Amino acid sequence: MQHSETFLWKIGAPAGFGVMTTGVGMSKLTARHGYHLFDYTEYPSLIQGGHNTYEVHISADPIKANKKSIDCLICLNEDTWHLHRHRLEHDSLLVFDPQEFDPKTSEVKNVPIPFQQLLNDLKAPKIALNMVSLGASLALLGGDISYLDEMIDDQFRKKSEEIVAINQAAAGAGYTYAQEHFGELCRPVLDRSQVADRLDEAGKAHDPLTVLAGNDAFSLGAIAADARFYAAYPMSPSSSVIAIMAAWAEKQGLVARHAEDEIGVINEALGAAHVGARASVGTSGGGFALMVESLSYAGVAEIPIVVFLAQRPGPATGMPTWTEQGDLLFAAHGGHGEFPKIILAPGDIEEMLALTPKAFNLADIYQTPVVILSDKLLSESHHSVPASAVHAELSKHAVDRGKTISEKPYPDKKYMRYADSPEDGISPRLLPGAVDAFYQANSYEHLADSHTTEDAADRVQQVDKRSRKMTTYLETDFASPEVFGSLEEAQIALVSWGGNKGAIWRAQALLAEDGIKTAFIHFTHVYPLNAGSLKPFFAQDLPYLLIENNSTGQFGQLLRQQTGIDLPEKLLKYDGRPIFPEEIEKTVLKLLSTESQL
Amino acid sequence: MASPQDFAGYTPTWCSGCGNWSIGRAIMMSLAEQGLEPSSLNMVFDIGCSGNMNDFVNAYAMHSLHGRSIANAIGIKLARHDMHALVIGGDGALLGEGGNHFLHACRGNHDITVILHDNSVYGLTTGQVAPTAQKGYTSKSTPGGIIERPVSGLQLALTQGASFIAQAFAGNLPQLAKLIAAGMTHTGFSLINVLQPCVTFNKVNTYSYYLQKSYQLPAEHNPHNYEHALAKVQEPFHQEKFPLGILYQAQDQQAYHQQLAQLEQPLVTRRRTSDYAPLLEYFQ
Repeated sequence: MQHSETFLWKIGAPAGFGVMTTGVGMSKLTARHGYHLFDYTEYPSLIQGGHNTYEVHISADPIKANKKSIDCLICLNEDTWHLHRHRLEHDSLLVFDPQEFDPKTSEVKNVPIPFQQLLNDLKAPKIALNMVSLGASLALLGGDISYLDEMIDDQFRKKSEEIVAINQAAAGAGYTYAQEHFGELCRPVLDRSQVADRLDEAGKAHDPLTVLAGNDAFSLGAIAADARFYAAYPMSPSSSVIAIMAAWAEKQGLVARHAEDEIGVINEALGAAHVGARASVGTSGGGFALMVESLSYAGVAEIPIVVFLAQRPGPATGMPTWTEQGDLLFAAHGGHGEFPKIILAPGDIEEMLALTPKAFNLADIYQTPVVILSDKLLSESHHSVPASAVHAELSKHAVDRGKTISEKPYPDKKYMRYADSPEDGISPRLLPGAVDAFYQANSYEHLADSHTTEDAADRVQQVDKRSRKMTTYLETDFASPEVFGSLEEAQIALVSWGGNKGAIWRAQALLAEDGIKTAFIHFTHVYPLNAGSLKPFFAQDLPYLLIENNSTGQFGQLLRQQTGIDLPEKLLKYDGRPIFPEEIEKTVLKLLSTESQL
Repeated sequence: MASPQDFAGYTPTWCSGCGNWSIGRAIMMSLAEQGLEPSSLNMVFDIGCSGNMNDFVNAYAMHSLHGRSIANAIGIKLARHDMHALVIGGDGALLGEGGNHFLHACRGNHDITVILHDNSVYGLTTGQVAPTAQKGYTSKSTPGGIIERPVSGLQLALTQGASFIAQAFAGNLPQLAKLIAAGMTHTGFSLINVLQPCVTFNKVNTYSYYLQKSYQLPAEHNPHNYEHALAKVQEPFHQEKFPLGILYQAQDQQAYHQQLAQLEQPLVTRRRTSDYAPLLEYFQ
């Protein structure tokens, strides 16, 4: 495979067929071959029935987005063909079971494989269909069946040798059939010889690629940050975090709590945080709505807490298993009254690994809530990251608990929990249990010593003290957006935040092939914004295109509110699907051609 | 060793004659008698007249949002199980706004002690009806009399897995102090339901009402007998009688945190051991 070429493999089946397992399997197989990948799954909020799909975008170079054209479509039912045929090209491979349906088409390269017959010959159960399709896929993509045999062994060894044998037989049947009958159609996108420098003689990667989704990266980041308490109530697309944390809890020595509701979730976490455990909660928009009163409590009582908010399309129950960036303004403004809050929005796995530990540090340093905004696309899509890079990212993190103290600072004086701090707004936070002191984390307005007050001067002192923390944050820890490309040379600037990063990166490459120079202004520190440091990014005389996965351009609104910068040109998508690089390319081409006509 | 006075903070702002005066005093006496210091326990005060004790009792504390004190206490206990977690709240906070947390804390047998101030009214918001009020009770929000039947914190706790339930009367300070200590030394969820007259807003459930209708559990009452306890907690509804004392105490029931192997050491004070390295294989 040429290094600029990429290949998109996609499988579709009715829900309940095990498409997710097959898809993750394909991603891990790709990584074991030494190739990079980005994957994406679509599924309805159902356990049985409905249509599930999983696509894996394969590339020799790192890749962080999907693409529109499908190069190999595995149809485990007829719906898959009808729903996705518009994304196929003339040389796309269309894999189907001729006993199931006949696509009656010559628009694409037909690959009829008798899946059911192969299973019947082996007397294998229906679930092994996944393995037949993975085996056939490896043959069509020039892969090595030994990686699949090994993966099956890893996965089922604990169950029984018989299960390992039947799955390996099913995989082998698919592989052999596809190789014997369609060998001439093989597209060698998993050819090991192209990435030979990454593998040893036995085919093992020198630096194995990990296959991480955003939720996995958040979980790893939390462990690296020494977070010890995680609470959640299951809600798509955040749910896999509680599963991961619960699986790791005993060995890692942390508490993973599935509490009765999101209000219980955040209040338990605040209790744990108050006495000194680094604590976080995870949810999506609806659960976050239940948490906001408590977020306000964390604000006034100055309790550190990290909220992992994985967005999905609202309002209300919305579209639970689809993607959107619709909760930015809600997160920024969530909580009654005025209190400091920080919002970080990682754009990909590496940024999730880096910003999660930073979020825990910021929560401790500023003694206030920090929200990590993810979305379904980032939370559930995997991409490949070399294990060495994951190690490097996580191990460079140092736990910084700011002014957290475990002993009373002045032996002869009373401890003042909310002592005024004219310099930075931050008061030393003594952990409960320290001798010769006591205080309360008070939800009422309070005096410096934490007792309740309604006095005007004390109120002003405490409000000013708390808001000063955000001034300190903007001066100390706020990070300006990263620019990909050169603003001085670009014909257009693309402005976005969070999980659109991969699609925009890819669009930049496509536009470069069209001969168009672009710069991409990528925000991760989305709230609050530092007007002074941001103005230079928007000072060029060129069109700025705001790209967001919502219908109202929420980051654009926030940017205007906080800095006065207005971005009238927008690409907004809000159909529950992620933004395709090709859509960005098309919008930019249209915008530039309109501009040149003016 | 701390004296009750060491736990005394600001002078309380309760109405003269309010049951909270003796409850507050009983708490401070009990804490001192248990050998605790203001710096050696965690308290969580809910919102309401009872929760206002936050400024009157000295301890490491949270003054929670309305209804959320129990959830805060569970988090505190899971992170610092070597310290007591004591919840102070009213019937509105714990059985109304926070009813869900109450129910699930009982299920989990979390090792926290809840002092439930049961006065049938919302005192701090000037006397609206509380979930424990008797059917037909008239108040500003229920001028025609409340239609719902009362919820029983004791019955709810007992049936949902609480391992210690007791009832006390605010007019009997020495017994209340003893019951608080008994609840706090019990490992598992303990509820002390305190019958508390609200002298300003509740003209029905007065001191004399409770003096007439309450009685001491006889010596032969066996607190380990669940069925017997279940019958006792129904007496207020069927016979308008209020038994005082330890109604139920389970034997050999592990608290929530005792069932987590990783909590041999308190979560906060254990040494840092978190290591992500072995977790990476999971993703290959």
